[in-house]
Amino acid sequence: MALAVMLRNGASFHGGCCGHQVLLSLIGPLLSTSKLYSSYRRPGAEPEKKQSWQNADFSFKKGIDHLKTQLSLLKKEAQDYFLGPRGHSLSKHSLEQTRVLWQFRSQEDLNKWVISSDVEIGGKSKVYLKLGRNNQAALLYGTLNTEVPRDGETAYSGYCSMRSRPAVGSFNRKKYYDWSNFNSLYFRVRGDGRPWMVNIYTDPYFSHQKDDLYSYFMFTRGGPYWEEIKIPFSKFFLSSRGRVQDSQHPVWLDKTLGFTIGDKVDGPFQLEIDFIGLLNDRAHREEFAYETYDKNTPV
Amino acid sequence: MNPQANLIFITSLLLGTTITISSNHWVTAWAGLEINTLAILPLISKHHHPRAIEAATKYFLTQATASALILFSSTINAWATGQWDITQMSHPTACLILTTAIAMKLGLAPFHFWFPEVMQGSPLITGLLLSTIMKLPPIALLFMTSPSLDPTPLTTMAILSVALGGWMGLNQTQTRKILAFSSISHLGWMTIILVHNPNLTLLNFYLYSIMTTALFLTLNTTKALNLSTLMTTWAKSPALNAALLLTLLSLAGLPPLTGFLPKWLIIQELTKQDMAPAAIAISLSSLLGLFFYLRLAYCATITLPPHTTNHTKQWRINKPVSPLIAILTTMSVLLLPITPMILAAL
Repeated sequence: MALAVMLRNGASFHGGCCGHQVLLSLIGPLLSTSKLYSSYRRPGAEPEKKQSWQNADFSFKKGIDHLKTQLSLLKKEAQDYFLGPRGHSLSKHSLEQTRVLWQFRSQEDLNKWVISSDVEIGGKSKVYLKLGRNNQAALLYGTLNTEVPRDGETAYSGYCSMRSRPAVGSFNRKKYYDWSNFNSLYFRVRGDGRPWMVNIYTDPYFSHQKDDLYSYFMFTRGGPYWEEIKIPFSKFFLSSRGRVQDSQHPVWLDKTLGFTIGDKVDGPFQLEIDFIGLLNDRAHREEFAYETYDKNTPV
Repeated sequence: MNPQANLIFITSLLLGTTITISSNHWVTAWAGLEINTLAILPLISKHHHPRAIEAATKYFLTQATASALILFSSTINAWATGQWDITQMSHPTACLILTTAIAMKLGLAPFHFWFPEVMQGSPLITGLLLSTIMKLPPIALLFMTSPSLDPTPLTTMAILSVALGGWMGLNQTQTRKILAFSSISHLGWMTIILVHNPNLTLLNFYLYSIMTTALFLTLNTTKALNLSTLMTTWAKSPALNAALLLTLLSLAGLPPLTGFLPKWLIIQELTKQDMAPAAIAISLSSLLGLFFYLRLAYCATITLPPHTTNHTKQWRINKPVSPLIAILTTMSVLLLPITPMILAAL
């Protein structure tokens, strides 16, 4: 039975040469209870949801409305193109020394972020995001639980994160941020003393690099006062799938995509964020904080 | 980079270029092109940065495809006519495939998409090599086969290149991408006159190389990789900045600077060949290019922003300024009055 399932999975995976297709059609009716993909899922993963192609809505009117919104977005983009870089005039682009990227004042600002925690891999942390008092900040709060899920392969657990949704332009094309005018990130936060990790994802061209993240740490103070934290981009180090890489390079800022904040240690946590912005810190002269020369030169 | 390795790469570039431009047989020409492609790859990916590796990979894939197409077209021609002589390219399909292949090699629209990304991922001097030396062998091949090429695809690609180079360069803030788009538009000018007067193609290429080398070396002195850094160069090297202004205007094709010469001669030749609409189209499209040259000139010289830069290299120029900049800038600004001599030498 298991062998037949594997055979069927194998056939569907390889797209089938005719021999496999024949076999598939022969044993298919016998295995009508199995699915076309592996039925193992991680404990915290959501149960099978509808395939994306089952969500297709063939309503004509909705299609026309969708097309109209996308075309109006495209028209706006075309007009912005003639105004200058990113729709602002060149003088604004060249003179700006600060820029507010995400400011949390309403629910739609919160909708630009996605929260996640180790529930995805079967852990027990909880994380929530809501607007703070008077709609003046976003409050990311929850409980971290470093208890490792017992699935035999996970060694660590306990993380919560808040990720920015990638910006999409017209027709769902990826929009990149151009941060080349700036050299630091600027947060106005009120934490509870816990350290956070800030990650930047620059959309890479090759799939080998899709797990590349540039990370650094944000140490919050915990007091009742708001803090302004500046993290220069020169401090971000490169890691891939969580492993810090040997050969480091500075993050190139002309094509960044998204942003994560994460944490790790047991217990409750709270982080209030007023806004996240960029800063061109004139006093910061460092180009890159880590050594870039070859550390293991061949003899 | 290791000086010996650098020597090997630069020598290979010169070798590949020389082999191609001095060859009579298609296979030698193709071999020279391949040597060029391989030699410049380590120069593009000198810094082992993901963007540089991405640029090198994109460059390799497009150039390898184009080389394969060149070989394919010469094979079709050899199969049809029985000889491999570059100047005897008579089979029409072979000529069409060759045109496409060389358009891909050069970066003519609609095969230009790799060019800005590759320029953005490579250092400034490698960008210079990409715009000048790497263009010489394909243009030499076009020059040698120009009598047998079909004008229609060439003219279409040329006008499209000038227009697209102008439009796409409008909104850029990275100087290397702007220079890539300027290269694409100049290639359009070079291509449109190829079938009518190939000497003008070569003249345009030489003058473009001089101007663009002057520009790249100037930008390299001040390491101006984006517009904001360019805006602060007035304090570091004011005379060089003034020269940069003139070089940019020359690239844009404004009289009385040198850059006007090729454009003038090309429009004159097109008009003589009864191609006035093409001449109008290409002149109007190059106005778009004028906009971003003026924007570069505006950022470099006319604005005096009150800020400094966050780039440490701006404060001190590490190496002495290359004397080549002076020679090339002078040439790119003052050659217009000796036009008759240039025409006689064509």
